[in-house]
Amino acid sequence: MSAALTTSERMPATTAPLKSGRKRRFPLGKSLVSLILIAICALTIFPLVWLILTSLRKQNTIFNGPFIPKHISFQAYPEAWSAINFGRHFANSAGITSATVLGVLVLSTLAGYAFAKLHFPFKNLIYVMLLATLMMPATALIIPLYLELKKLGLLNSQIGLVLLYVSGSAPFSMFLMRAFFETLPDELVQAARLDGAGEFTIFRRVILPLARPGIAVVVIFQFLSTWNEFLYANTVLQNTGSLPLQPVLFTLIGQYQTNWPLLTAGLTMSIVPVILVYVWMQRQFVAGLTLGAVKN
Amino acid sequence: MVPNITLTTGSRVDRVRLARQERRRARSSHRRLHYSEWVAGYTFLLPTVVLFALFVGGPILFAIGLSFTNWGGFGAATFTGSANYARMLHDPVAQRAFVVTILYAVAMTVLQTVIPLVVAVLVDFVWNGLSVVVRTILFIPAIVSFVVSGVLWNLIYDPNMGTLNQMLKAIGLGQLAQPWLSNPATVLPSILVVSLWGALGLNMLIFFAGIQGVDPTLYEAAQVDGASRVQQFFYITIPGLRVITAIVVALNLMNGFKVFDIIYVMTGGGPSHASDVFGTYLYTLAFGSTSGSIPQLGYASAFSVVVMVLCGFAVLFQVGLARRANR
Amino acid sequence: MSSSDKPQRMLAASALGAELSRRTVFKLVGAGAAAAALASCTPAGTSTGGSSGGKTVVRMWSWYVGQKDEFPKVIKAFEAKHPSIKIDNRIFGTPDQYLPALQAAISGGDVPEIFAPHTRALTYGKQGVSADLIKELGSSFLKDFFPATNQEYTLGGKQYAVGYMAQTFGLFYNPDLLAAAGVNGEPETWDDLIAAAAKINATGKATLAFSANPTVSAGDFFLPLITQVSDDPTYFLKLDQLESGFSWDSDVVVKALQLNDKIVKAKVFQPRTTGTSGVQAEQLFYTGGAAMFFSGSWTPQSLVQDAPPEFGKKYKVMKTPAISSGARHWTADQAGAGWSVAAGSKAKDAALEFLKFMYSAEQYSPMMNGSNSMPSTASAAAMIESPIIKLMTSWLPDGCPHIPFGAGSAAGLEPLGKIFDQTESPEKVAKEMQAAVLNARG
Repeated sequence: MSAALTTSERMPATTAPLKSGRKRRFPLGKSLVSLILIAICALTIFPLVWLILTSLRKQNTIFNGPFIPKHISFQAYPEAWSAINFGRHFANSAGITSATVLGVLVLSTLAGYAFAKLHFPFKNLIYVMLLATLMMPATALIIPLYLELKKLGLLNSQIGLVLLYVSGSAPFSMFLMRAFFETLPDELVQAARLDGAGEFTIFRRVILPLARPGIAVVVIFQFLSTWNEFLYANTVLQNTGSLPLQPVLFTLIGQYQTNWPLLTAGLTMSIVPVILVYVWMQRQFVAGLTLGAVKN
Repeated sequence: MVPNITLTTGSRVDRVRLARQERRRARSSHRRLHYSEWVAGYTFLLPTVVLFALFVGGPILFAIGLSFTNWGGFGAATFTGSANYARMLHDPVAQRAFVVTILYAVAMTVLQTVIPLVVAVLVDFVWNGLSVVVRTILFIPAIVSFVVSGVLWNLIYDPNMGTLNQMLKAIGLGQLAQPWLSNPATVLPSILVVSLWGALGLNMLIFFAGIQGVDPTLYEAAQVDGASRVQQFFYITIPGLRVITAIVVALNLMNGFKVFDIIYVMTGGGPSHASDVFGTYLYTLAFGSTSGSIPQLGYASAFSVVVMVLCGFAVLFQVGLARRANR
Repeated sequence: MSSSDKPQRMLAASALGAELSRRTVFKLVGAGAAAAALASCTPAGTSTGGSSGGKTVVRMWSWYVGQKDEFPKVIKAFEAKHPSIKIDNRIFGTPDQYLPALQAAISGGDVPEIFAPHTRALTYGKQGVSADLIKELGSSFLKDFFPATNQEYTLGGKQYAVGYMAQTFGLFYNPDLLAAAGVNGEPETWDDLIAAAAKINATGKATLAFSANPTVSAGDFFLPLITQVSDDPTYFLKLDQLESGFSWDSDVVVKALQLNDKIVKAKVFQPRTTGTSGVQAEQLFYTGGAAMFFSGSWTPQSLVQDAPPEFGKKYKVMKTPAISSGARHWTADQAGAGWSVAAGSKAKDAALEFLKFMYSAEQYSPMMNGSNSMPSTASAAAMIESPIIKLMTSWLPDGCPHIPFGAGSAAGLEPLGKIFDQTESPEKVAKEMQAAVLNARG
C-alpha cells in the first residue's frame, strides 16, 4: 500500500470529496449556515443586479423610480456600442490583456521555477528585491513611469503599456508560482537531470505540464486585473483610438452629470468577457483527476 | 490554495531506484558546483529582472530621489535634503493620515482575515462543498472595478435617499440613520464594510480550500481518540491553516498600507481628512483638484517612501511567521 | 478591484483549482501572440504635438463632457478651412481622471497644445507651462470676454487662460412648494430668506438644498459672502494670493463666517449638508424634498437629463440674496472652465488659430446654446436661447470670485465644513483656515 496519497485522494476544495471521517449531522446548523451563505450571496450579487437594471431603464427614473423599472428598454446597449466606439476599444482591451497575460505567464513560470528548484548565488537577495514591486503605491509611480517610458520612446504605445503591466504584475505571479512549484517533489527534477536533460528541457517537459492549476490561476486574475485597469492606461496612452475599454467607459462619468443607462450598459457589456474567461477556466476542471501523473 | 500533489511513479521498484540515486547524488553534490544550474537560474530570471530594473526598480529609485526635492512638476527640481520628511512631522494632515493609515490597515486585515475564516469554517463543517454557482457568485465583487463599487456604495450610503438609511427607517431604527460617509466617526467603518464586501467571497474561498486541504486522516485519528468537533477545530484545522493565514495577513496588511482607490472614490479623503490615508494624501498633493493648487511631487514622494517602509515591515513579518511555521 | 487586491484574488482562484489542458495552453499562446502583434500597431496619425504625415496636430484636452456633441462639429468646420491642421480632441470624464494624465504630460515636457488648466491655471502660468494670452491673442480679442473671467486667470499682468463656460450661481426654486408654504415673491436679503425658511420648514420640506461635500465646494456659497461683506470683488482675489495685509483670520472673513453661521443656524439648508454630494442635492430638489437648490448655471443641463420633464418646465431661478436691502446681489461668477495654450509647443500658432475660430460667434454661440451652457463672451451672451441661462447671465455685472486659485487656498476651505456641521465657532474656524492655508503652502 503506497504511503503517499495519489492525487485522486487529495483534491482541493472544489471537488467536494467524500470525507468519511467527518460526517456531521447538524440540521439546525446547516440551515443557519445556509442562511448566512444566502445573505452573503445576495449581497455580492446585488451590484450586478443593480448594474443590469439601471442599464434597462430611462435616465430620469433611476433615482426616483421603483427598484424594478416599469418600462424596460434595451436601447442603451446599441447606443453605448456606437457612442463610445465600443467595438474598437474592446478590441484594444482584448489585445492588450492577452499580451499581458501571456507575458506574465512566461515570466512568472520561469522565474517561479528558478526560485523554487534551482540553486544559485544571491537567490534570496534577488527574490526580496523583486518583491519590492509590491510595496510602492501605484499612484506614486505614475510620473516616474511616465518619464521612464518617455526616455525609452515607448510613450503613447500599447507595447509600452503592456511592458508596464507585465513588469508590475510578474513578481506577484512569480511569488505564487514559486509556492506552487515548491510543492512538486525535488525527485522529479533530479531524476530528469540524471537522465541527462538540460535545465530548460526539464522545465518545459517535466515541470510545466504539472503547473496547469497555477497557470490557470495566473490567467484568470491577470486577465481580470488588466481588463479593469484604468490609471496607467489613461495616462500613458494619449491617442484616444488606442485606449482600452475601461478608461473610455469612465469618460461617461462626468463631473456634474453621468449618463447612467449608457454607462451601466457599457459596464455590463465589458464584464461579459471576464465572466466568460472565468467560466471557461472552471470548465477545464475535471473532478478526481490524476494530474498528468508522471508516465515513466 | 495550491493543491497538494504527491505523484507516484506507480511502482515500488522505481521508488527504490530513485532513493538510491538520491543518496548517491547527495554524497557527490558537495564536491561539484552546478554551474549549469547557475546559468539556468540566471537565464530564467533574466527577463523578469530586466523588466523590473527598467520599469519598477528605476522608477522606485526615482521616486525615492524625488522625495529629497521640492519638485513642482515642471522644469528643474531643487534638492532640499530631508526637508520633506521634517515637514511630515509637523504637518497635522500628515500626522492624521498616518494614524488613519495604520488604523485602516490593521482593521482591514483583521476583518478580512477573521470573518472569511469563520464563514469558511462554518461552511465546511456543515456542508461538504460549494457548488459552482455559489463560487461564481462569490467571485463577482472581484470583477466589478473599484469605481463602480464606490459609486454603488455611495448610493447605498446616501443620507437622504440611500438604501441603508431607508431600510433602517423601515425597520424602526430610524434614529441610527446618519450621513455615514460624512460623519468622521462612521466614515472609516463604512469604508471598511465596502472593502470587506469586496474581499469576503475571495478570502473565504482561500480559507475554504485550505481547510479542505488539511489531511483528513488527522481528523479520523482525533475522532478515534474521542476529540469533540470543537477540539478538532482548534487543534487540527487552525494549525493547518497557519501558513495560508500568514500569507493572507501579510497581503492584507500591505494592501491596507497602500490603499487609495476605494477611499478616494468614496470620500476623497474627507470629511476634513477624517478618512485621508497616505495613499489619498499623496495623490491630492501630486494631482489634487481639491487641495492646494501647486503640484507638490517631492513631498508626495516622501509619503510613498514611508508606505514602502511600512510594507517592508509587513513582508518581514510574514517571512518571520513562515520561518516559524516551518520549524 | 484595483491591482492591489490581486494577491487575494489569485489565491482564491488557485483555491478553485482550475485546470488547463495543454492544447488550451497552446491555443492561448497562439491567440496571445496574434493579439500582441495586433496590439503593437499604433494607429496612424500619432498625437504627439507637432506634425504627423504633413499635418500639424493640435491636441486639445479637457473634461468638458457637456460639449462632446458640439466639439466634432466645430472641429470639422475648422479642418475644412485649414486642411493642414488636425485637431485631436480628448475629453476625459472627471477632473480626477484628467489631472494625472495632464500632470504627467507636463512633467514629461510634452504639454498638450490646448488644455483645461483647472485650478492650476496660475501655477502653470508662473512655471512657464502656459502662454501669456494677452500677448498671443491680443487685448482686442480678450475684450469681448466678461471681466471676471479674464481677471481670474490673470497674474502679474499676464493672462494664462481664457474662460470657456462661465458660471453664475443662483437659487433654483420650485414655485409650487414656495406657494404652498405661503412665501410670496423672491427673498431679497438673507434675512428674508431666513424668514421664508421658517415657513417652508414648517411644511415638512427642506428650504435650500446644498452640497458641502467635498467641503471645498462649499466655497461656492461662502466666498461670495466675503465679497458681500467687503463690497469689493477684488478682496478675495488678493486674499487668494495671500497678499500682504490679507489673511484668512481677518475681520472681513470672520464677519462672512458669522453670516454663514447665522444662515446655517436658521436651518435654511437641509440637514447634513456635508454629507450630501452635488448629485444628491440636485435629486433632493427635483424629487420635491427641498423647495430650493443653491447651484450654478450648469444645472439646467443636468436637470434636462435627470429630472422628470414636468419638473423641467416648472422650476425657476432667483438671484443670490444680498446682505441688506438695496445692497448688490454679489453672485459667484467665475468661469470654472477655461483653456490654456502650451507655451513651448511647436504647434502653438495652429492652436491659437483654432481658439480664435472656436470663439467666433458662429461657432461659440451654437456650442454654448446646444449644451445649455453660459458663454464667457458678451457677443455670445447676446445670442443665448435658454431663458434661464439668459437670466443668470444677466447677473454677471454683480459677479464675484468663488474659486480658490492661490497656493493652499483650497486647503483653507476645509475647516468651512465645521460651520455647516455647527461644530465650531466662526472665530476659531477663521484661525484654522489661516493655519490650513499656511500648512498647505509648505
